[in-house]
Amino acid sequence: MVDASVVDPALVAANAKGMIAIGAGIAVGLAGIGAALGEQAIGAAAVGAMAEDEKFFGKGLLMTVIPESIAIFGLVVALILLFVF
Amino acid sequence: MGSTVKYAYIVARVRAMKGKLIPKEMYPKFLNMEIPEITRFIGESEYKNDVEELGKKYSGTDLFEHALNQNLALTYRKLIEVSQNEANFLITEYLRSWDIWNIKTIIRGKFSGAKEEEILEDLVSAGHLGYRDLLEIIKVGTIEGVIAAFERTPYYPALVGFKGNLAEIENNLDRMYYSNIIKAAEDTGNKLFLKFLRTEIDLKNLKMLFRMKRAGMERDEINKLLIPGGMELKANDLTRLSSLAFPEFVRALEEYSYWKAIADISSEFTSLINIETRLDKYGLVYASRISYYYPLSVLPILDYILSKKIEVDNLRIIVRGKETALPEDIIKAHLVM
Repeated sequence: MVDASVVDPALVAANAKGMIAIGAGIAVGLAGIGAALGEQAIGAAAVGAMAEDEKFFGKGLLMTVIPESIAIFGLVVALILLFVF
Repeated sequence: MGSTVKYAYIVARVRAMKGKLIPKEMYPKFLNMEIPEITRFIGESEYKNDVEELGKKYSGTDLFEHALNQNLALTYRKLIEVSQNEANFLITEYLRSWDIWNIKTIIRGKFSGAKEEEILEDLVSAGHLGYRDLLEIIKVGTIEGVIAAFERTPYYPALVGFKGNLAEIENNLDRMYYSNIIKAAEDTGNKLFLKFLRTEIDLKNLKMLFRMKRAGMERDEINKLLIPGGMELKANDLTRLSSLAFPEFVRALEEYSYWKAIADISSEFTSLINIETRLDKYGLVYASRISYYYPLSVLPILDYILSKKIEVDNLRIIVRGKETALPEDIIKAHLVM
């Protein structure tokens, strides 16, 4: 067992900050992967529809970026972690 | 997850293509038009390129017929070209029915001594056999020569025993097509494709049963021609139905879900056209309905293939009917809409 009284408080603070940074990284990373999984099918479908009719460009783009909100949620969580804690 | 993603591209594309089909509200309008007007309309629609390309070679209803067939073949070929993996395999297998159609057309044509031009008019090179190959085969003079020309194709075993009985090899070809495609579907494990196929076999068998019952054929003869592997009409159902007399046969059909397609005309089963049109419509509605239940599967593609074929058939019926000055209600009875 390590005696708590001998641990340098500066080291503890640095360690906690590091953990927060890792948490923020995981939040953005996983949210990005989730958004990508959602987007792959929608993107493929949008390209398919556009290949037939260019008028689908607007709709296709809109549909493709909808799962992007998940990535934004991840970003928000990461920002909260970094700046609030 | 993976299976839905791989269909996303082709399904969206096919849905967009389906949106460009002629809406069914147009058909009654076509009935009020003259042939040149219809040709002009078609020449400004999705068939534009085909009409312009063939316009130098043909005119009138011949132009119409060739343009429709060419467009159908090119549309189906496009589906094969833009699809990948499982979808590509299933579409290719399914479109082999056009190879069967072409082989039948050529052999029938040769059998009845039709001219090369006449046979060519009915060919749709949407399957594996390309237009150029078919052109070469048409030039062969005899049926035996035609059959020998198919030697390197997978259809040869069904043709090789030809001894002058046209119905037999046509039936062999049909059975071969369905047994091969069911095997292909089972290999991929695609249950939805299999379900669609089995329903199609049922409808085909029903149509044949109606025709053969009306013609008063014997049970054994009928059984030989029916295609095994249906969804509701299993082998024992088919044997039972084929042994009944026409009125009992009609009554026995009430047990099956297909009855609702023809129930409202049950009092006037004298005309086969009505029944066949209803069954075709049932197939079309069924395909469209299940394609909405399973939007990211092979079903929307099959639905499109069917809808496109029916569009071309309808247009041909209208123009041919107009050409021979058939009354409007008779033309209408043939339309699937």
